[in-house]
Amino acid sequence: MKTLLSALNLTKVYGEAPNQTFALNGVSLAIKNREFVAIVGPSGSGKSTLMHILGCLDKPDSGKYYFEGKEITKYSDNELAKIRNKKIGFVFQAYNLLPRTSSLKNVELPLIYTDMPKSEREKRSIVVLKEVGLGNKLESTPAKLSGGEQQRVAIARALVNDPLVIFADEPTGNLDSRTTEEIINIFQKLNQKGHTIVIITHESDIAKKASRIITIKDGKIVSDRKKVNS
Amino acid sequence: MDLIEIITLAFESLRVNKLRSALTALGIIIGVASVILLVSLGAGLRSYITSQFEQLGSNLLFVVPGRLGAGGRGPGGQVINKLNPKHITKIEKQVENLDGVVPTIQQFTSVKYQNKVQKDVTIIGTSHEFGEVTNLTITRGQFFNKSQNDTGRRVAVIGQTIVKDLFEEKNSIGEILMIKGQKYQIIGIAKERGTTFGFDQDNTVIVPILALQRQFGVTQINNIYAKASDQADVEKVAENIKKVLLEDLTEDDFSVLTAQQTLETIQGILRVISTALAGIAAISLLVGGIGISNIMLVTVTERTREIGLRKAVGATPRDILLQFLTEAITLSVAGGLIGLSIASIATIIISRFIPALITPWSVIIAFGFSAVVGIVFGVAPAIRASRLEPIVALRHE
Ligand SMILES: Nc1ncnc2c1ncn2[C@@H]1O[C@H](COP(=O)(O)OP(=O)(O)OP(=O)(O)O)[C@@H](O)[C@H]1O
Ligand SMILES: [Mg+2]
Repeated sequence: MKTLLSALNLTKVYGEAPNQTFALNGVSLAIKNREFVAIVGPSGSGKSTLMHILGCLDKPDSGKYYFEGKEITKYSDNELAKIRNKKIGFVFQAYNLLPRTSSLKNVELPLIYTDMPKSEREKRSIVVLKEVGLGNKLESTPAKLSGGEQQRVAIARALVNDPLVIFADEPTGNLDSRTTEEIINIFQKLNQKGHTIVIITHESDIAKKASRIITIKDGKIVSDRKKVNS
Repeated sequence: MDLIEIITLAFESLRVNKLRSALTALGIIIGVASVILLVSLGAGLRSYITSQFEQLGSNLLFVVPGRLGAGGRGPGGQVINKLNPKHITKIEKQVENLDGVVPTIQQFTSVKYQNKVQKDVTIIGTSHEFGEVTNLTITRGQFFNKSQNDTGRRVAVIGQTIVKDLFEEKNSIGEILMIKGQKYQIIGIAKERGTTFGFDQDNTVIVPILALQRQFGVTQINNIYAKASDQADVEKVAENIKKVLLEDLTEDDFSVLTAQQTLETIQGILRVISTALAGIAAISLLVGGIGISNIMLVTVTERTREIGLRKAVGATPRDILLQFLTEAITLSVAGGLIGLSIASIATIIISRFIPALITPWSVIIAFGFSAVVGIVFGVAPAIRASRLEPIVALRHE
């Protein structure tokens, strides 16, 4: 399978010497299309930092990052925005939905930054909301939705642009175990449909469903295991 | 994103935060409303005064006692009136290009018809040419003639207010009106002249000057009205009248004014006043603008996560800039529209009591100003929003 993204010796440093924190300290990895990757590791180990760079939300202090073979580190803000818009979907732990705004409008959000006509945007948003099982909550605002439902809206939003890869940063961190199960099933289904999934998690149950588990500690990859069966 | 998309987005965002939007627009609403309202008042007053003078005619000149301007008459200062009927004759004889010259004296008193009393009536004593000189039209009956004038007959021409209040539907011609115990026979009714500075010009009775002088025992006259035969001659006639009067009187005893001059003077004063008022109102617009800027800046902080999210899903810095700028402009233009409607309603209500007139340019200026305020004060917050790093914005608590 083709390589979707690859990173070479990424570092990210916060703060000034001598109080520097090496959030990333020489990370290299490659992720192929259709992989289901779980990133695990203790708190503060640099998982989110890595995901933000892989997701083109942030730039490394040194090292190279290639997305679809192109070197992203040299891209302008506008070009990065375009890649995030067309090729990447994000799911956050805190859902990050627009308050007082309907599910439909929330899901439509990435599409308003494309040139898709309005009627088509709405159609597409309804399709993905149905896909995550929220066809009956199109007009509900986040305040009227349960945590699991809010996260499903957020997944629909990540999905609406039909991205190559979905990054999820502890997407079930705020959810109970039953809802966690539901959300993970959605990610598995999406992976089976061809989306690459990169998910940060603390829960071993979730990690077990992934096809590959990367463990990070102190800004370094300490293990990278692929499963044979999937 | 095209413009319509951006505007739709701004509207949605403002709608979602109704209270905040309303409070932000309030400053602009008040600013625009007060600018338009004050300009309307000034414009209304000016056009009203102009029409009042036009009614009198632009060939008109007045001679008033005392020296106007140059500190001749201090506020409340008493003027000894030295104008008398002899001066009328002199002007008539010596000044050329005159259509007429009339003296006036005024008394304020009540008049009586049968058992009905009308208070605060202006009794004007003048000569038979008064109608012609001051463009007074008689709607019924007639003005008094030369012989009635010369013999000081007690006849009266009454204004519309007197007709309405004392006679209602009845024909007043030929009836007897009591002025301070003296009988005057009504011979004519003057056309309506309206109100100037709250002074009802139709609550008047015009009688031959001699009759009034005899009744009240006065010999002086209050004012002299003269009419030049041609508007081009007005200044020249004014000079000649002055020359003639100076043979008898000093510069401090009288002033010759032309209707045109007086109009220009009053208009000048009004213009200064209304510009000053509009300027003060403009400051409130400015304050409104700063209010928008403040709230937008707070909004940017408050909405940091939203901005981060929008950027994460593909908004470019330009998209964010335009969104926030459009929100600011929408707020100030909407505020401007609401302010305009408030000012319009207020103008309609106020114009029942004092003259007020919405002028197109005050609308354009107030409106343009609020749009500019939106842009100017929206730019800083918008730039700040557009520059937020997506990751910093997302991590913001
Ligand atoms: N903006 C920042 N400024 C300073 N230090 C930062 C910043 N962002 C992250 N760090 C530091 O970098 C390190 C890695 O942070 P990161 O958020 O990537 O950890 P994480 O593995 O995602 O942790 P968690 O599981 O708690 O989310 C931490 O020590 C953190 O304190
Ligand atoms: Mg994290």
